[in-house]
Amino acid sequence: MITIESLKFSYANSSFRLNVPDFTVVKGEKLAVIGPSGSGKTTMLNLIAGIIVPENGNINVAGTAVSQLPDAGRRDFRISNIGFVFQNFQLLDYLSVMDNILHPYRISKALDLNKTVHKRAIELAQQMGIADKLLCHPDQLSQGEQQRAAICRALLPQPKLILADEATGNLDPENKMLILDMLFNRVDEDDSTVLAVTHDYELLSRFDRVVDFHEFYGVGA
Amino acid sequence: MIDSLYIAWQYVRWNRGKTLVLITSITLIAFLPLALQIVLQESEHQLQSRAVNTPLLIGAKGSALDLVMNSLYFDDEAPQAINMQAVGQVEDTDLAQAIPLYVRFQSRGFPIVGTSLDYFDFRQLQIEQGRMYAFLGETVIGADVAERLAVVPGGSLVSSPDNLFDIAGVYPLKMKVSGVLARSHSPDDLAIFVDLRTAWVIQGFGHGHQDLVKSRDATVILNQDEKTVTANAKLLQYTEISEDNIDSFHFHGDESIYPITAVLAQPHDDKSSALLRGRYLDDIVYQVVKPDDVIEGLMENIFRIKNVINAVIFIVGIATVLTIVLVFILSLRIRRDEMNTIFRIGCSRMTTMRLLAAEILIILLASALLCTALLWLVKINSGGLVRSFIL
Amino acid sequence: MKSKTCCVAVQGRKMFDKFLTPCCLIVACVLSFSTARADDKFEIYTVNYPLQYFAQRIGGQHVNVKFPAPADVDPAFWMPDVKIIGDYQQADLILLNGAGYAKWVSKVSLPRRKLVNTSSIFKDDYIKIDSEITHQHGPAGDHSHAGIAFTTWLDFTQASRQAEKIAAAMKNARPGLAEEFEQNFKQLNHDLMQLDARMSELSSLQPAQPLLASHPVYQYLSRRYELNLKSLMWEPGVYPEPAEWQVLNLILRRHEAEWMLWEDQPIEKTQKQLSASGVDVVVFSPCMNRPQKGDFMTVMQANIDALADVFSD
Repeated sequence: MITIESLKFSYANSSFRLNVPDFTVVKGEKLAVIGPSGSGKTTMLNLIAGIIVPENGNINVAGTAVSQLPDAGRRDFRISNIGFVFQNFQLLDYLSVMDNILHPYRISKALDLNKTVHKRAIELAQQMGIADKLLCHPDQLSQGEQQRAAICRALLPQPKLILADEATGNLDPENKMLILDMLFNRVDEDDSTVLAVTHDYELLSRFDRVVDFHEFYGVGA
Repeated sequence: MIDSLYIAWQYVRWNRGKTLVLITSITLIAFLPLALQIVLQESEHQLQSRAVNTPLLIGAKGSALDLVMNSLYFDDEAPQAINMQAVGQVEDTDLAQAIPLYVRFQSRGFPIVGTSLDYFDFRQLQIEQGRMYAFLGETVIGADVAERLAVVPGGSLVSSPDNLFDIAGVYPLKMKVSGVLARSHSPDDLAIFVDLRTAWVIQGFGHGHQDLVKSRDATVILNQDEKTVTANAKLLQYTEISEDNIDSFHFHGDESIYPITAVLAQPHDDKSSALLRGRYLDDIVYQVVKPDDVIEGLMENIFRIKNVINAVIFIVGIATVLTIVLVFILSLRIRRDEMNTIFRIGCSRMTTMRLLAAEILIILLASALLCTALLWLVKINSGGLVRSFIL
Repeated sequence: MKSKTCCVAVQGRKMFDKFLTPCCLIVACVLSFSTARADDKFEIYTVNYPLQYFAQRIGGQHVNVKFPAPADVDPAFWMPDVKIIGDYQQADLILLNGAGYAKWVSKVSLPRRKLVNTSSIFKDDYIKIDSEITHQHGPAGDHSHAGIAFTTWLDFTQASRQAEKIAAAMKNARPGLAEEFEQNFKQLNHDLMQLDARMSELSSLQPAQPLLASHPVYQYLSRRYELNLKSLMWEPGVYPEPAEWQVLNLILRRHEAEWMLWEDQPIEKTQKQLSASGVDVVVFSPCMNRPQKGDFMTVMQANIDALADVFSD
């Protein structure tokens, strides 16, 4: 699913360097990435998503050389193939839960918002247990419900890859497990791949593989 | 674009307080100069149309503006009085038709206009209810007076005392309303018309006598002997001309020295107008004015003031626009996380700008609609507004 | 039955189409034409009969002169009702006599533009009356002759000037008819001047002859034709009080009149008593209201004819 070769990346005016000689994630794999702050975990996610491009090396996601694509191509690729789940959910408070889930379809021409999508959104919400909250605004939802809504938003375009950046960081232990289960169940159904950055060591056993980013790839200042 | 508008609409709806403040600010800054323009245009139209339709005014030397404002728009600032001789003088020239005007008194806040029946033909005023005044003490009222005071033919109005502290002043006159004029959308709608002689009765020049010998109210009589009956001040609280006492009503002295405030002169043609004006050039008592010229001068001053106001509004406008820009910049800063998120999801910077543009469009559109609605309200009511508050 | 009715109806309609429609059209045309003509007429209201007569003579067929006072009232002291005032307000011209005649005019509202004071031209020659005696006769109730003498037209030169003013006002209002009005005025003026000439001639026969008048209405007649006239305050229909007879006798001692001018024929009792005092009755009607017979001119001629006996004595 993900193949990275000879990747080099640095930020301007920063001593941070990221060198990844070789990195592979197979399709359907659930990979946890751990490592201390500043080790380049989030940078790695951004590189895989095509938000930033490497100075050297290749990033291939689902058969597409993301790093070779132009800006617009990377955006279209990202919105169609990658689902993002953030630590602080990043739901838009002025949109209802339903509108938040449908949001990717409204901001990109690459996705077509039709009746099927609406139907799927409702099904997803039912599966995530927030079907009765679809007309509510995020501030009316609990933290767990908010993250479930964010997961629905990430899953709705049926992405081949889910990038989760501290997705359970703001949740209580009970919710962490529940939401991870829900995410993994759906990922299994869709045969998607998960790459999750996390600090929750107790969750690591649920992943297929764990990579310590600092130990293997991160080159700090 | 529709999706952008949808999201933008959700945003402005969610932040309705901020949106309302923005819409109100933009609306006000657009509305104020435009409304001012409409009101001024209507004022100009009303002032000019009435002035153009009033060929000449003759009055006492002094402020031409006071004379015009009092005679055309029944302003309560009465110019110095002249006498009826002025009417005779105009008629004797055979150059113009003369209509006397005596605009000095009021009743319940509306001006009492003493004039001759010719005024109604001159202004093409029609009776809508009742009939034209026929006897002394009767009045015909403008449509707005009838509406606001809820007076119909058969009702009555009492003239206000000329001066509250005038101990020797005359009693107010209770006037019988004989008719209501059809609406003319002019200051005539706000006036109470009486015969010139009725106005003189209000001033105390004409009066009747109450038959004290036959009076049923004993408390009225202060002293009575074989020859004289003396009445106290309770005799009358107001004067009223009725069928019973109209025969006793009379005027003392020569009518030609009775007061009026202006003569409305209608010259037969341009030559007569020029000749008539010429006759008053060196007059030390009277002035003859062309209301059109006076109003033109007034409008020039008003427009000068309007330009100053517009300049102020322009500066305030710039300040408002800058504030609005600042509001948007701050709003963008607050929404940086949101922008970042949608960018990470896959939204282009252009789409982000489109979302913002849609928000601005909605706010501007709402302001434009509100502003148009307010301006429409001002426009349809401008006639009344100008008549009630400006003229 | 149904078809019969139908047939009659159809025939009736045909008849209507053939004859009635054109007839109706003609009638409608005539009516509208005559209405238009009537509307075209110049409407003049006056405050007494002499003015009505003058205006009608001058205006002829082009004017519709109205004097709405009832025949049995003295127009000088009459008060019109609201409806009649409304008619006056709507008139094209309102002819006033001036000299304080018809006091009601000062108590009502009339359009200034339409008012014509026919005697204003000689207002400096008005005769002022000092005495103020109120008396009552007729439906007008109490009235007084104080102020200004108002029977201006009894001086026929003044009548002529009043007629001239009327003609001028009418010409001004209808310039298209000015020539015709002028011709008519000249004819009227000629008739009035003839009356004046006859009166002047008659009065010159016995210039100082003492005369009495039953009512103070002959001031202008007296001034113009130099009559030696003293006025009482008697009414033709009322037998005078003893005190009034005493006043008459007192006057007769210094003013040996043999004739008394009356506005109308007095009652027989008064007439007999006057004869007993050596005073004969001669009727000289001021013609304030429209006469039962004839018109202003015939009445004035009859007045002068009657005076012929007085001055030929």
